[in-house]
Amino acid sequence: MTELRASDLVHVYPAAGVRALDGIDLLIEAGETVALIGQNGSGKTTLARHLNGLLRPSSGRVLVDGRDAAELTVAQLAAQVGLVFQDPDRQVFAGSVLAEVEFGPRNLGRSGDELRGAVRESLAACGLEGEERTNPYDLGQSRRKLLALASVLAMRTPVVVLDEPTTGQDPRGVERVRAAIADIASKGRTVLAISHDMRFVAETFSRVIVLRSGRIILDGSPSEVFGAAAWDALRSTYLEPPLSARIGDRLGQGSTPTDASLIARLSGDEAQEQKA
Amino acid sequence: MARSLRLTDPARIPANSPGRGIPDVIGRPGPSPFHRLNPLTKATLATTTAVAAVVLGGLVGPSILVGAAVIVPAAMAGVLRRLLVMAAILALPIALSAFLINLFFFPGGETVLLRIGPVAATAEGLGFAMEILARILAISGAITLFYLTTRPADLVVDLERRGVSPRAAFVINASVQTVPAMVERAGQITAAQRARGLDTEGSIWRRVRGIVPIVGPVILGSIAEVEERTMALEARGFSRPGRRTLLWSPGDSSREAVLRWAMVLALAALIVGRMSGAWQ
Repeated sequence: MTELRASDLVHVYPAAGVRALDGIDLLIEAGETVALIGQNGSGKTTLARHLNGLLRPSSGRVLVDGRDAAELTVAQLAAQVGLVFQDPDRQVFAGSVLAEVEFGPRNLGRSGDELRGAVRESLAACGLEGEERTNPYDLGQSRRKLLALASVLAMRTPVVVLDEPTTGQDPRGVERVRAAIADIASKGRTVLAISHDMRFVAETFSRVIVLRSGRIILDGSPSEVFGAAAWDALRSTYLEPPLSARIGDRLGQGSTPTDASLIARLSGDEAQEQKA
Repeated sequence: MARSLRLTDPARIPANSPGRGIPDVIGRPGPSPFHRLNPLTKATLATTTAVAAVVLGGLVGPSILVGAAVIVPAAMAGVLRRLLVMAAILALPIALSAFLINLFFFPGGETVLLRIGPVAATAEGLGFAMEILARILAISGAITLFYLTTRPADLVVDLERRGVSPRAAFVINASVQTVPAMVERAGQITAAQRARGLDTEGSIWRRVRGIVPIVGPVILGSIAEVEERTMALEARGFSRPGRRTLLWSPGDSSREAVLRWAMVLALAALIVGRMSGAWQ
């Protein structure tokens, strides 16, 4: 399983002279589900793109499974870290859903039963079974987004990075994304997702990292990051804790980052609370 | 009478600074007097220079044109270095192939300068290749100078002010602005495909194999974008008949109008002289 580490990572966009990452130190252990949050321009996407070599550090290092990412090509890193882009229309090109999903695994040299199994599994995880022969552009935008996710899941990379996976999704689509993430995590793979949806973040991930101006300002469990003690730091980067956390605090129930944790706390159901 | 910048509120223009008070998103005079020429004047200069280089022929005429109508204005505008680099990149493929073909395969070439296997470079071929090269440099230099000193939006606004329909003006603007937008889109698509293991750094075969996954979304995305943009324009009254209110338009003057006509008439005279055999 793959561990990700960034050491004093700095990235400066030379054309704009913007210091997008300003000394990031981070360790993400294999199997963790991590959400990366922060306002626009805080460095989330820049950090994600360092993990599979699409961007190279101005200084500092990124280690993927103990190997310096600077020594590996993007094609080599793609076998370790799959990256799902925010806009599916910037990657979908094939004439059918099947060909689109097969593209990544084929690039990694997969074939035969292994390829077919990976494709079937990823289509099922994203609710696209039966759409194999459909032209991707006949799918709606939200399902095309799920197709982009499926095409990366089929690569079976130990790490999956998702850039705003719930943007443009209806509640059913969000639920589908959440289920797909749970499925990846259940296989011991690491998930790192960028999101602006605080409720989705609190309900889906075990760890939340908050970025502001290229620096990590908060790093902890949803209970810690969305707990009242962290609100000032959170609001310094224009983020609001989920509604359940604010209601729980108002009612003196402590940190309740999810609806389930709030209901469990209010009903005094310890077993349910533990689960939440 | 010389007309300067036009704003809805002329009082907002300070006497000593024609640019102050004009938001960048609306329009802004360029940094040099050449930049500040009316876009149509610069377009006329580029067009007449390019056509004149072809009509003149030979080596001397196009070379003088390059110096007078490209190098000198570019130096005045402070874009000479960028112009030389861009014009070289723009013209290199065609200039190189035209030069080599004429150098080695010029019909009737007799004075052999160099022989490589079955082909020979001749002095006559070299002379003709130099003439072609001068014409290509004049054309690419004139176009590049216009591109470097004129914002597409300024040209479109000026054309609209002169009565060109908003539809035609939009087509011109969209055509010019599509290129950088497509380059940016292609960059993002390349990143997305590389993240799925597409190797664009390996052998030529691998790079060729990578063209479809990159070009496909560029074209499909652009087509989809055109549809969305069309609807967005329609929703904001693009097709409405009648005159538009221009918030800003580039300055123009009677002196520039005279200059434009002089360039057009000089070119017409050149063409007539050439066709009548006044010189060979």
